Amino acid sequence: MTADLFEAALRHGLRIATLLAASAIVFGLGMANLLRHMDRYEPALAQFGAMAALGAVLAGEAALLVRGRTWRRLRGLAITVVLGASALSYAALPDRRTSTEIDWVFGAANWVGVVVLLDRPLRSCVAFLVAHELTALLHLLVFDHPTQQALARFATGSVSVVGFPLCVAVMAAILHRLGAVAAASHLEIERVRASEAGTAEAHRRRLRRYGELSVATIPLLEGLADGSLDPGDPRVQRRCAIEAARMRRLFAEADSVADPLLHELRHCADVADRKGVAVELDARGQWPVPPVAVRRDLTEAVLTVLATAASRARVTVVGDADLVSVSVVADCDEVTAPNPASTGVRVEALRHDDMVWMEARWQPTS
Amino acid sequence: MAADELITAVIVDDHAAIAAGVGSWCAHAVPPIGLIDAGDRLADVWTGPGAAADVVIFDLELVPGLPNFGELRRLVDIGRRVIVYSQHTEDAIAIKCVDLGALAYLTKREGPEHLVPAIRAAARGEPYTTPSLSGAFIADTAADRPRLSQREVEVLRAWFVSSSKELVAAKLNIAAKTVDTYITRVRVKYANVGRSARTKSELVSRALDDGLITLAELNQTETSL
Repeated sequence: MTADLFEAALRHGLRIATLLAASAIVFGLGMANLLRHMDRYEPALAQFGAMAALGAVLAGEAALLVRGRTWRRLRGLAITVVLGASALSYAALPDRRTSTEIDWVFGAANWVGVVVLLDRPLRSCVAFLVAHELTALLHLLVFDHPTQQALARFATGSVSVVGFPLCVAVMAAILHRLGAVAAASHLEIERVRASEAGTAEAHRRRLRRYGELSVATIPLLEGLADGSLDPGDPRVQRRCAIEAARMRRLFAEADSVADPLLHELRHCADVADRKGVAVELDARGQWPVPPVAVRRDLTEAVLTVLATAASRARVTVVGDADLVSVSVVADCDEVTAPNPASTGVRVEALRHDDMVWMEARWQPTS
Repeated sequence: MAADELITAVIVDDHAAIAAGVGSWCAHAVPPIGLIDAGDRLADVWTGPGAAADVVIFDLELVPGLPNFGELRRLVDIGRRVIVYSQHTEDAIAIKCVDLGALAYLTKREGPEHLVPAIRAAARGEPYTTPSLSGAFIADTAADRPRLSQREVEVLRAWFVSSSKELVAAKLNIAAKTVDTYITRVRVKYANVGRSARTKSELVSRALDDGLITLAELNQTETSL
């Protein structure tokens, strides 16, 4: 169970507990006091009305709780009903009885309000409790002509009437903040994990590329560095041209393009272009995207021939759903056709006068 | 016209460098080809020395973005032998020009090695198929395209890929002349479908007379290969 789920479960539990406590206070303590002093109210019917209003709000909370929802837009209405019930109760309260047993609503409506505002920021609860306290204080000051004793009783009563619900509200607020922190750390952990996975993948890719380069490029560079290979030797130059084209192809493989085969061929052609070979690249038809290994086999023939082309070369792709054919025709010395690594790829070379035609074919279905 | 007569061509192209380049290729051709530069004035193709030229080399887009198929049709309808020389490489445009009766379609990437033989072929009233047009034929998926034999498609494909008839012949183990025969058969099949034009009907009737293709082969119109 992740931290935010745990926090949600805690908050759910607190909500149930608060509802049960509020119900017990309203229907237990409140109702008992109301019934005991029924003949003192002016009239008693108003008190039952207030009790019914609080009961309706508690029932609403119970219904929402069962359905896993919150008050949302009805919250304002519910608070109005609670404060209204409180005002109604005080209006029908006999004088000089504020914060006594007869004043059942003083210790009941506060809990109902907290029930409604439990998932709101702490200041909402505080504001409600202050409003509730002021309603009672207003009645005390206006109708009770309070004695010092009455004021002391009111103050004592207020400690529990405001204090206990406030404790619950503070706890809810702390849980809420913990939840936010937990969610943020959860996101951060996910982000770090994703970035670690990306880094690991990039590392794997680099190792793979290094492995591929180590077969041909690195021995070539080492040979050039230690002088065992002569840069003036046409065979060495040819190897360099092939490795340069392979590296360009390797870099092009990471690009995200609509047609990777043509894209990589363009890069291979570009290497030859730079050393002064006029390369035409032309394509006809539409073909499925070959996998990287197949694309390497298809382009390998092209870059092998282009590496020795003297002045001009024509690279073409003709394809459909069943066959992709990559051809290169160039004026170059004898070249050996590379051996394709993938199944389904065949390479044929044809030599006629000073022209070489090498064709690599791939059948996607085979 | 007699074989030893000087071939003349008129070029309509608004780019002076193109006209000058083509002029140079024609002058250096053996035997040379006389070229009249009409600039961007279409009227010079219809009147004056341009009207008598054997071949019209026609820039399809004198107004950029507006291929002038109408002018091509008028030139073909009056019996002129037209080579379309265009910067367009789109297959559909190439095939449309052929369908309108152009004897050759060249993209401006194709140089003297194709333009000079194309002018000579057009002067004889014969078609010339460049590798790019060959590519357009193999990629043609139009519903009304003619039915090509497997061998014809192989030759078209090899010609598109290699741009050398000697290589096509070597690759497919046939004589270079046979390569031309297959390519011409494709042009005859294309000439036989779609819009009628004098150049196209000449092409078809000559092919039938020479036994290059039979009526039965011409009338195979199913489009599936």
